[in-house]
Amino acid sequence: MTRGLYGVALISIVLIAIGVATTYFGSRYHLRLVYGAYVNLLVVLGLQVFMGNARITNLSHSAFMGIGAYVAAICVTPETVKAISLPQAPWGLNAFSLDPISSALIAIAITAIIAALIGLIIVRLTAIGATIVSLAVLVIVHSVFLFRTDIFKGNQAFFGIPQVFSLTSIVILSVAVVFIARMFRESKWGVQLRASADDELGAQASGVNIHQVRLIAWILSGILLSIAGIAYAFYLGTISARPFYFNHVFLTLAMLILGGMRTVTGAVLGTLIISFGLESVRWIETGPVVLGIDLPEVLGLSGVVLGAVIVLTMAFRPEGIMGDREVEDLLLKP
Amino acid sequence: MLTLTGIGKSFGGVVAVHNVSLTISAGEVCGLIGPNGAGKSTLVNLISGVMSCSEGQITLANQSINRVNAHNRARIGIARTFQNLRVFPSLSVAQNIDVARYRGTQDPIVDAAIEVFDLKDKLSTPASVLSYGHLRRLEIVRALALTPKVLMLDEPAAGMNEHETQTLGQSLEWVSSESDCALLVIDHDLKFIMSLCKRIFVLNMGELIAEGTPKEITRNQMVVDAYLGEEHEKAASTA
Repeated sequence: MTRGLYGVALISIVLIAIGVATTYFGSRYHLRLVYGAYVNLLVVLGLQVFMGNARITNLSHSAFMGIGAYVAAICVTPETVKAISLPQAPWGLNAFSLDPISSALIAIAITAIIAALIGLIIVRLTAIGATIVSLAVLVIVHSVFLFRTDIFKGNQAFFGIPQVFSLTSIVILSVAVVFIARMFRESKWGVQLRASADDELGAQASGVNIHQVRLIAWILSGILLSIAGIAYAFYLGTISARPFYFNHVFLTLAMLILGGMRTVTGAVLGTLIISFGLESVRWIETGPVVLGIDLPEVLGLSGVVLGAVIVLTMAFRPEGIMGDREVEDLLLKP
Repeated sequence: MLTLTGIGKSFGGVVAVHNVSLTISAGEVCGLIGPNGAGKSTLVNLISGVMSCSEGQITLANQSINRVNAHNRARIGIARTFQNLRVFPSLSVAQNIDVARYRGTQDPIVDAAIEVFDLKDKLSTPASVLSYGHLRRLEIVRALALTPKVLMLDEPAAGMNEHETQTLGQSLEWVSSESDCALLVIDHDLKFIMSLCKRIFVLNMGELIAEGTPKEITRNQMVVDAYLGEEHEKAASTA
């Protein structure tokens, strides 16, 4: 556990340093870029808690992020705004508004309950079965966001959310979530879950209730994903259904696979590399002039690069950059 | 303490274990022998809850455990190792032991067992890089971390040389002397089984054909015909 805390401290220093450098030297564009990267970091860490430790691919994580974002948005947005944006909202959803903290807590609680209900099914399935069900959950949740326009406004912008978060807030949140994800990995549940991923029968014979530890990880994952959604909504002030669907699932999955899903360090590394690397790719995509050479516009290049990252990682280093090693394993003796 | 009453297991029309009844008392060291396909590992799977019985009753300390699932059987004191190693390669040796230790009480015998089974210097080593002999020992210590009432060892000496087998035997005698844990050892190494166990059960074609001390077993004609005869012939041919 002490080694784990050392690892958390090292990662935190990097995250804080990026945050401070952006605050003091970055433009407004850089601020949004880093904020977006940190939101994705929260998502990837939430994904790692279940997928990395249980080694069961989850494709519904963006849906849980969306649930967190929308519930918080509905609770926190002033009635005056909701009277315009959600005039047909049922159950009096447009007749109240709460403070940001209460809204966030309600969003986390509701996401946790939904995660628990879905988790009861997911944890009993084989790995491939669980992955297919998680995909179905993503599609169901997205359909609800899209077609219950009276509550979620579908593809239209849900606006008027108070922008109460700053870069400082998300840096603090990221450090806290790194700590939670790492402590879970080293906790009795985390170790038991990793054991069950190595060998189910061996874990059962060692007294591990596999369904129970998977469910705990699944719910914790849902909670962290809802926090990512809340951070997203509370910064942008406007959300819609589209960012919580396939593209985002694919992006964050690539981040976790590249860094290495088995470790928290891998999750952080993969997120930082892809978040900032993809920005360079997007720049090339626009057809810039480099050293006097007018490069052609290459639309869709970022999608190709993202897919290539997954293909190449799976082909040449399926365990990701970090494998089973956390950052302190590179610096300290065993 | 552990009592099997007429237990059996069928796979479709194939009967793997039929009408086996036996009792193992606390602290006893018992052996389970028989030819390949006799149903030894199936019996261990039935006792540990990996498979459910088609017939019969299993009781631990007079409580029926037929409906108790595998992980809960481990928690109430039925521990086992596997014929094919089932350690956790991505975890360190200490973490492998902790997986089971979390379920049991912090028994000082586990710390002592780590030393006796020669794992003390390897606690922070990933299990993936351990030698075969150490992996076998790790699996036993992990099972002991459950503070079991019954520990079933499925071919613990398989793949070990004579010296390693001898050391393993001494370590298992230590377990027996230091705890009330009953041991049920399956192995094809008859020298190892005969020297370690006080009582031996013989399975053949899924049925219990004999039970007794090592001396009684070696003189039992049914056992000689069904199992020991093969060994004798092998020993004779190699000599």
